[in-house]
Amino acid sequence: MSSRALPRLLQAPAVILLLLWMLVPLGMTLFFSFIRYVLNNLRRPEWTTPSIENWRGFGNYEYVLYKAKDFWLAAQNSLIIVGSIIFVTVVLGLAIAILINRTFPGRSIVRVLLISPFFVMPAVNAVLWINMILDPVLGLNGLAVEGLNTMAASLREAPLLGQFFSLWPKIEPVSFRATQTAALAVIIMVSWQWTPFAVLIFMTSLQSEDQQQKEAAILDGVGAWAQFRYLTIPHLARPIAIVVMIQAIFHLSLYAEIEIVSRGNGNKNLPYLIGEFASNNIGAASATGILAVIMANIVAIFLLRIVGKSLMD
Amino acid sequence: MSVVGQSTKFSTVALPVLAWLVALVFFFPIFWMMLTSFKTDADAVKPEFLFIFKPTLENYINMTENYDYWRFAVNSVITTVFATAFSLFVGVSSAYAMAFNPGRHTKDILMWMLSTKMLPAAAVLYPMTFLTKSFLNLFDTHFLIILVLSLINLPIVIWMLFTYFKEIPKEIIEAGKMDGCSVWGEIKDIVLPLAWGGLASTALLCFIFCWNEAYWTVRLTTTDAATLSKLIEGNRAPEGLFFGRLSAVSTAAVGPIVVLGWFCQKQLVRGLTFGAVK
Repeated sequence: MSSRALPRLLQAPAVILLLLWMLVPLGMTLFFSFIRYVLNNLRRPEWTTPSIENWRGFGNYEYVLYKAKDFWLAAQNSLIIVGSIIFVTVVLGLAIAILINRTFPGRSIVRVLLISPFFVMPAVNAVLWINMILDPVLGLNGLAVEGLNTMAASLREAPLLGQFFSLWPKIEPVSFRATQTAALAVIIMVSWQWTPFAVLIFMTSLQSEDQQQKEAAILDGVGAWAQFRYLTIPHLARPIAIVVMIQAIFHLSLYAEIEIVSRGNGNKNLPYLIGEFASNNIGAASATGILAVIMANIVAIFLLRIVGKSLMD
Repeated sequence: MSVVGQSTKFSTVALPVLAWLVALVFFFPIFWMMLTSFKTDADAVKPEFLFIFKPTLENYINMTENYDYWRFAVNSVITTVFATAFSLFVGVSSAYAMAFNPGRHTKDILMWMLSTKMLPAAAVLYPMTFLTKSFLNLFDTHFLIILVLSLINLPIVIWMLFTYFKEIPKEIIEAGKMDGCSVWGEIKDIVLPLAWGGLASTALLCFIFCWNEAYWTVRLTTTDAATLSKLIEGNRAPEGLFFGRLSAVSTAAVGPIVVLGWFCQKQLVRGLTFGAVK
């Protein structure tokens, strides 16, 4: 045995484990996506066992893409939810990172407070927001609106100004479980959780910004905006790309939040649709799964390219 | 930060105040959850007791009665600890091999490992339930959850360890070889002591991810191996009648992890960006 063979062999357990973890379930999904396979069907009991006899070719894909009504809606929702979360977290994250990238009293406490939401379990995040904060009756949302209405009502009684306040309409609290707003609720709660992630990464990156270059720019009388635009943004280009792509990969598979907010009503995304199909039509669920894998891979290729560049240096 | 000529009132007073405000706004939901956990269920939904109320420990005392909290918490601890230990065990040997004895394909293997992390879980949900229920008979067992959690986190563990191991000068390893160190001796006596800090932060991060995992732990368990994620998702109290006890159990579920998270903020960046931002 050469002196390097044994050390090389040490990577084998991890490789084998991950290979099994990836290939076995994915291979099965791929197979199921090409056969007719349902959990319950009284008329065609032969479809309830996965077998090559029930080969359907691209039939499941055809069904998912053209006949089942929810695929395009779910794909659209996935993209809207992921896109909005990324936009909010990157913009807020940049602003906050720049805001706290200076010395001021209590900076370390501010950092600790800011990063905390990121460690909250997704299930707790969703339960907390949808019940205790966004609920239109019992949550803070409802209480605040009610408070405003009571205030307006008492002001109406006031002499002189009462006339003016009687023009104020009674405000109705927004229900975040409704079809129109359920996606918004998910965007709010996930952005709350992931903005700290963006802040953390941008902040780390800002600290490695070339201060001499910055000071030279200031001496040359370069304005704050130009400094930001021509020094900070290029410096942050890679972290921004990484934040965007990591979030894309994570949020394309959002599930707990969707389930807890409204069980897919108004915010159904691809993972949720797969879950719905999987309650009976495994063939369709698998085909949707393969399509989701393809979507995630498009993002992943770009991410891997960027990460790969920094790998060996 | 020493930026010249920026000592205006605006930047020395207004911006720090704004920073504090933003931080408080972000922390508020957690604070609110903690505060509500000390209210009775009845008080929790009354506007007159928003901030001023008679604090009670009732919710925490009754946690076992209402939610069977300890059973889920014990499951979370068991699965998280063992999954972290197992991924570190596999991860250390693999990262050692790749950092100190890289071959032509090391980079490709690393990239491929990372790509397994990007597989949408929902796509393989049914095969996983099918396999574990009908073939392997592992559904709802600690063993399965430990295995799944460690496999999910293995790529990140390997990547993090790899970046830490790369920082160890190769000469030290070579010197160890000269002195006749075995492979195991090299790992135990040279690599691990030198990368101790990196190892600890990798473990911490892996622990946090395992604890918070909410897809597989919810879908591959029913009762025996159900973790805190499952408890919360199962008891989401739709009408909000139980805000007090829900807050208590949530606080107890996330509290330890948030505190752990504070300690590894800096390492978190490396772990989350796969070493691309340090």
